[in-house]
Amino acid sequence: MLSRSQAGYLARESFAGFGRRKLTTGVTILIMGSSLLVLAVLTLATLNLSNLLETARSGIDLRVFLEDGIGREDAAELQPHLVAIPGVEQAVWISAEDALEEFRTTLGEDAAVLEMLDSNPLPASFHLTLTPEARNLTAVGAIRAEAARWPQVAEIIYNQDWIDVLERWTFRFQMVSLAVGLVVFLAAIFVISNTVKLTIASSARLIQIQKLVGATNAFIRTPFLCEGMIQGLLAGSLAMGLLAVGFWFLKENLEGLVPFTPAQMGGFVLLCMFLGLAGSWAAMRKYLTLQSETA
Amino acid sequence: MALNTDMNLAPGPLDSRTIISFNRVSLAYKDQDALSEVSFNVTNGEFMCLTGPSGAGKSSILRLISMDAFPTGGQVRVRGMMSSKMNRRKIPQLRREIGFVFQDFRLLEDRSVEDNVAFAQLVVGVPHKRIAENVSRVLNNVGLWGKRHRLPHQLSGGEQQRVAIARAMVNSPKILLADEPTGNLDPRTAQDIINLLFRFNDAGTCVIFSTHDHEIVKSFGRRVIVLEDGRIVSDKQRQGIVDRSVNLADRMYRADLDAAASREEPAHA
Repeated sequence: MLSRSQAGYLARESFAGFGRRKLTTGVTILIMGSSLLVLAVLTLATLNLSNLLETARSGIDLRVFLEDGIGREDAAELQPHLVAIPGVEQAVWISAEDALEEFRTTLGEDAAVLEMLDSNPLPASFHLTLTPEARNLTAVGAIRAEAARWPQVAEIIYNQDWIDVLERWTFRFQMVSLAVGLVVFLAAIFVISNTVKLTIASSARLIQIQKLVGATNAFIRTPFLCEGMIQGLLAGSLAMGLLAVGFWFLKENLEGLVPFTPAQMGGFVLLCMFLGLAGSWAAMRKYLTLQSETA
Repeated sequence: MALNTDMNLAPGPLDSRTIISFNRVSLAYKDQDALSEVSFNVTNGEFMCLTGPSGAGKSSILRLISMDAFPTGGQVRVRGMMSSKMNRRKIPQLRREIGFVFQDFRLLEDRSVEDNVAFAQLVVGVPHKRIAENVSRVLNNVGLWGKRHRLPHQLSGGEQQRVAIARAMVNSPKILLADEPTGNLDPRTAQDIINLLFRFNDAGTCVIFSTHDHEIVKSFGRRVIVLEDGRIVSDKQRQGIVDRSVNLADRMYRADLDAAASREEPAHA
């Protein structure tokens, strides 16, 4: 348990590095803030793409066209089997007549062309709506395969093939974001770690004396960890600030894009503080290990 | 010089007054032997000198006492704590009972005399009010209360060493390790520092004084261990002029202290 004098000392020392190395600390926060801005932009883009994909996915449905001559009775027999397929929420029967009527409505003024037909060329079908969990490429593939097993089924059409493309690109983007994010993450830890190493190097005598007079490693470490966390906090806030300013300037071009919520911004800054802590920890751990090895 | 093998191997009897015990202690840095089967005991309140040429193993012994290094052979026991069974987390606890003084003072250059001394109490969690009392007491003891607001570079070498001694003594340690404390000082100032150490020793602190200057310790009239190539070649209680001179040293100290402020000009002021 810390005494008041120790707590006061640690609080002062946590900020002392900023005063002693204004330029280094400033540059660190700037570099780290810029790196984190890249991370924030990528995160935001990924979030927006995911939102877009989710919206698109909510419109996913499957049309199961039946063989010619399949009547209402046969269809009624098939319906429970389709609904039983995992991921299928509903299977709505659309008779050939209903399909023609729907087509007529779609054609509008051009519907007269249909009068030239001798018979109804459209097959009966089932319109499958999917559960939210099944609104993805893999699940749709499985549902298609399962439905195709029934002999009454002639063809299955996935009505929004462009979602496949979107999904593939979203996945690729997420992977790239993840890779870039990881690099930025490690770079941020590296930058903070190096700054804290500078602080440690310039505090070598202080640390040495602390050890001599009986300070614990935890006590010696604390101000450096706090310094790293504060740097993370400032860099994260800078990144969020820059992002907000960017959003404000480009708001007309970015219509429809969703910004971070306050909770997400808070979470991002917390993550940056954690990065700062991790960087300091890495620097301190190495230094104190080195100290005890040379001791 | 012929080695006295028995002297190296027998630490002597352990009793309740033994504060430090080395039992056949060896220490090696990588492939180089720093100490070979060194044995000795130090009793509470003793003033012991370690002497020998550079590289003889004096600083290694001090590092072993403060558990800043661990023996590669044998056993070191300090205030009942054994090196082989020492939980490293308890080392800070042990160091709070040991004061350190070095040849190069090792002061914090950006802090005043007062803050340098207070620092030793601050990091171990002494309340502010007691820190102020203790710092005042110990700075008065070393004759630097009047210069408490000065920075180290505004003091002479002797004064800086007195600040270092004040810092070492402010936590009232049981043991004071002085590693070549007079190495950077002129003879007169060195005598002041030695007198100051005698004075703290008289008050009950065990002092281990290390120096390469054999001539200095001859005059102490205290126990002197001579080291050579990591071995003890002599461990004798000196009979000398200062054997009867604790009070003399004290008187010298007091006289010097009165004159100190006017005599010692700031080094870079």
